[in-house]
Amino acid sequence: MEFPLEIALNIAGFLVGLAIGLMSLAGYRNTGSPTLLRLSIAFLSISAGFFVIWAAYVADALVLGTGGPAGWVVTLGAGAQAAGYFFIAFSHSIKSFLPRSAHFRGVVPLPLLLTSAVQLEHVFRSLSFIFLAYGAIETALSCIENKSRGAAWVAAGLALLALGEFLGWYSFVFPGSLLYAASMSCKIAGLAALFVPVSRVPLGLARLGR
Amino acid sequence: MAYRTQMRIIGQILETAQENQQDGNGASVTYLIRKANVPHQRLRGLLGTLVSQGLLERSEYAGAQRYKISMSGREFLRAYYSFAGFAESFGLSI
Repeated sequence: MEFPLEIALNIAGFLVGLAIGLMSLAGYRNTGSPTLLRLSIAFLSISAGFFVIWAAYVADALVLGTGGPAGWVVTLGAGAQAAGYFFIAFSHSIKSFLPRSAHFRGVVPLPLLLTSAVQLEHVFRSLSFIFLAYGAIETALSCIENKSRGAAWVAAGLALLALGEFLGWYSFVFPGSLLYAASMSCKIAGLAALFVPVSRVPLGLARLGR
Repeated sequence: MAYRTQMRIIGQILETAQENQQDGNGASVTYLIRKANVPHQRLRGLLGTLVSQGLLERSEYAGAQRYKISMSGREFLRAYYSFAGFAESFGLSI
């Protein structure tokens, strides 16, 4: 059951991320807004992350035949997704997140160098969960403040993705249970919810290069 | 007052220039300062940029400078509204 669910999730993630990323990029090209630039980096990075994992599964199934995707490729994909979720979460307060001192900023990535490749994937997935939960809360607060229906969809989407990551942890503890399928379903539903605001922007405005 | 981004201020200036088209002479600097709530010095700089980018048109009326929104300015404003709504969906402002 793992292979079809992984393929469905990663294709959905790649397409939704690409659509939102390109729409944000069109918005940046039209208005020059740095917020939309950050959003486009976030979603293009998420899209690339899903694509890398999808490619790893397909390469393994069609060419390598080792019984599973290469660990380092999955880590790379998870890292790209975590970077994307970072940009979404901290678009809300990106200026205040990193320490002001250049010395402290220099040591921020150090903990990542102290872990093995396998641990690194779990570190990225844990970070993704934190960023997604933070982004969902911030977007939900904005939704309450502005009464925006689009923000409700995005908050629900980010919350479902966070729940999917959370259930994904438990599926490691209880392998073979329904938790894995539930985790994948939550993530796919979350991606679908994220796509709703993009579908409302008139396509005529999404012209690039203006 | 909540913090406004540069993009939001530009949007408000263009919005004010668009609303003030009834008499066909454009908006005066004083009117723009009052409506868009921007200090004179900063507004001067922004108006210069918007005129050079072709989003506003400068004209003279009764010895004073007036500003009218151009066709490109209207298009920009339409895109601004759409993408502001898009960013708002993510809890952000452009």
